[in-house]
Amino acid sequence: MPSPLLNYLDWELSPAQQSVQRTVRAFVEEEALPLIADCFEAGRFPKELIPRLGALGLLGPTIPLDGPGADATSAGLICQELERGDSALRSFASVQGSLVMYPIWRYGSDEQKARYLPGMASGTIVGCFGLTEHDHGSDPARMETRAYPDGDGWVLNGVKMWITNAPLADVALIWAKVDEEGRDVVRGFLVEAGSPGYRVNEVHHKLSLRASATGEIVLEDCRVPGDAILPGVRGMRGPLSCLTEARFGIAFGVVGAAMACYESALEYAKSREQWGRPIAGFQLTQAKLVDALEWITQGQLVAYQLGRLKDAGRLTPQQVSLAKRANCRMALEVARSMRSILAGNGILLAYPVFRHMVNLETVFTYEGTHEIHTLILGADITGLEAYRG
Amino acid sequence: MNIIVCVKQVQDPETPASQFRVDEAAKKVIPPPGIPPTVNQYDANAIEAAVQLKEQHGGRITVISLGKDTARDAIKQALSMGCDAGLLIDDPAFEDADAYQTANVLAAAIKSVGDYDLILCGRQASDWDQAQVPQGLAELLGIPSVTPVAGIEVTGTTLRVKRLIEDGYEVLEVPMPALLAVSNEANQPRYPTLKGIMAAARAKVDVKSAADLGVNAVGRKVQLLRLYVPKVESQIEWITGETPEEQAANLARRLREERVI
Ligand SMILES: Cc1cc2nc3c(=O)[nH]c(=O)nc-3n(C[C@H](O)[C@H](O)[C@H](O)COP(=O)(O)OP(=O)(O)OC[C@H]3O[C@@H](n4cnc5c(N)ncnc54)[C@H](O)[C@@H]3O)c2cc1C
Repeated sequence: MPSPLLNYLDWELSPAQQSVQRTVRAFVEEEALPLIADCFEAGRFPKELIPRLGALGLLGPTIPLDGPGADATSAGLICQELERGDSALRSFASVQGSLVMYPIWRYGSDEQKARYLPGMASGTIVGCFGLTEHDHGSDPARMETRAYPDGDGWVLNGVKMWITNAPLADVALIWAKVDEEGRDVVRGFLVEAGSPGYRVNEVHHKLSLRASATGEIVLEDCRVPGDAILPGVRGMRGPLSCLTEARFGIAFGVVGAAMACYESALEYAKSREQWGRPIAGFQLTQAKLVDALEWITQGQLVAYQLGRLKDAGRLTPQQVSLAKRANCRMALEVARSMRSILAGNGILLAYPVFRHMVNLETVFTYEGTHEIHTLILGADITGLEAYRG
Repeated sequence: MNIIVCVKQVQDPETPASQFRVDEAAKKVIPPPGIPPTVNQYDANAIEAAVQLKEQHGGRITVISLGKDTARDAIKQALSMGCDAGLLIDDPAFEDADAYQTANVLAAAIKSVGDYDLILCGRQASDWDQAQVPQGLAELLGIPSVTPVAGIEVTGTTLRVKRLIEDGYEVLEVPMPALLAVSNEANQPRYPTLKGIMAAARAKVDVKSAADLGVNAVGRKVQLLRLYVPKVESQIEWITGETPEEQAANLARRLREERVI
């Protein structure tokens, strides 16, 4: 039996949403958690879970393949439960579903959909999303990777950095500039591993998301066929729309990481005795636990409302920025505070807290840093864009 | 192959002992707040066995549950794991039905569903652990039954059934239609897939009352006299002795007095 959902304000999920949540929780508790600390220590992604993620339908859950896709809240709950296990699991699923399957489904040709989507949903094909470069993180519009037509194909040059799943990927969605009638336009290319001129270098020595595979993708006169280009989108709208999808998942996901930290610290505090009594009985410990419960509850409500807005077709990218920003900060603060309750034991991998805490440093940074979301929201409420200088 | 699976929704057996309460006056278990009821675990094994048989031989699986409106969730879980149709018998008159009454109403429900080759139940329900309903049901339907079952194979119209016995198992040949009460040794129930959950959410569960089935709540065989949580008392007795050897001898003597050894 999976452990019950932390639900202090008794938010009513539909029976199907509860079922999704319980199923993913059971899967994570029984199949993923037993592996994850060792994977984190070894710096290895648990590849053996990929077919299971596929079989359970957790890869690209909202994309209608054979049958309608899941509702937004169910998709969010999948992220929450995966990230309650480890941010690496949710990152894998986010990249596969929101950053690669979603754009193929939304902007791809029928041939591209048929070639990639079924395999990606089952996990036999792994995808990655190459937007960031060494010198262009927060300002991807200034990317230097370029593609030019050559014969009946394309040739790509550039280096993408920090690409989640790149070392495992069978196909990389590479965003590159193309000269269209004298103007640079960002376009998406489905570059298959093994294409001539395509190389991946794994990023080692990470201290965060150690159970996720991260890579640098080097494109040196990388040659792809003419039909590798995503026909349905031009400009930064392409990658940004994918990021909105993935950020939605993060707003739910980090709530799961925070829950794991809170639940671990609560249990610890009740059993750990100092001065002859459980540390949970000390007022300072209770204040930390209550703050955590309160922040997590607020984060849940933000996420649930995001789900409703998305299903109603009324969700704006700015609302997603607000939720990503708020919930990542919330989760990071919860993790740090819960770590202090476990004190010395808090730094061990035997407990989930430190692992989540350092993972969340990445989640705080990727998919738009905390600061960038501040500026997106700042521009929205003042009408003045601070980031373009 | 037409398979019927009988499923009971029970209090989550993982409910912490500290939250388990009974109302002694009403002779009822008080559902602990915030812990949703679940599918009886052995019934999940029966569902899994049914889905595996369907995967091997084709066919259709109908899930039947006697319970309150919440038991709809138990039926939906079975649907999400691969069953095809659900029937809920919801009738306040059967709220505290005993094993005989339950078997009686299930038998009527099964007759209303139509032809079947196989009925699968869990070997017992984790709330009362009586293990009476499956055999009673088979008796009422006039078909053979086997319990507890650890494995099922189908060849033509015959079942080869692995039945658990004290130190192992025996293999029985059983003609269909038959009823098998499945034990946890039979399989590991699958997780529902997301697609299964979404399809189950849309599926309609038929609801019938006992009157719709032409049965009424008579013939109760069991009277519940008292329901209470037993007090567990523990006493500690120190075994003394001058030397470890003497302590051990005294301990052995006490254990023999208590007939432990
Ligand atoms: C583990 C990991 C996995 C990742 N996976 C992927 C992936 O799969 N695909 C992908 O494309 N990318 C991925 N990324 C990249 C990630 O999105 C970037 O790291 C992120 O966008 C920030 O870019 P940067 O690290 O270059 O920081 P920079 O952009 O250099 O920012 C440095 C600091 O300056 C701040 N800053 C920047 N501009 C402004 C401004 N105008 N005003 C105020 N402050 C500003 C930032 O907020 C930050 O604090 C991943 C990163 C990590 C760490």
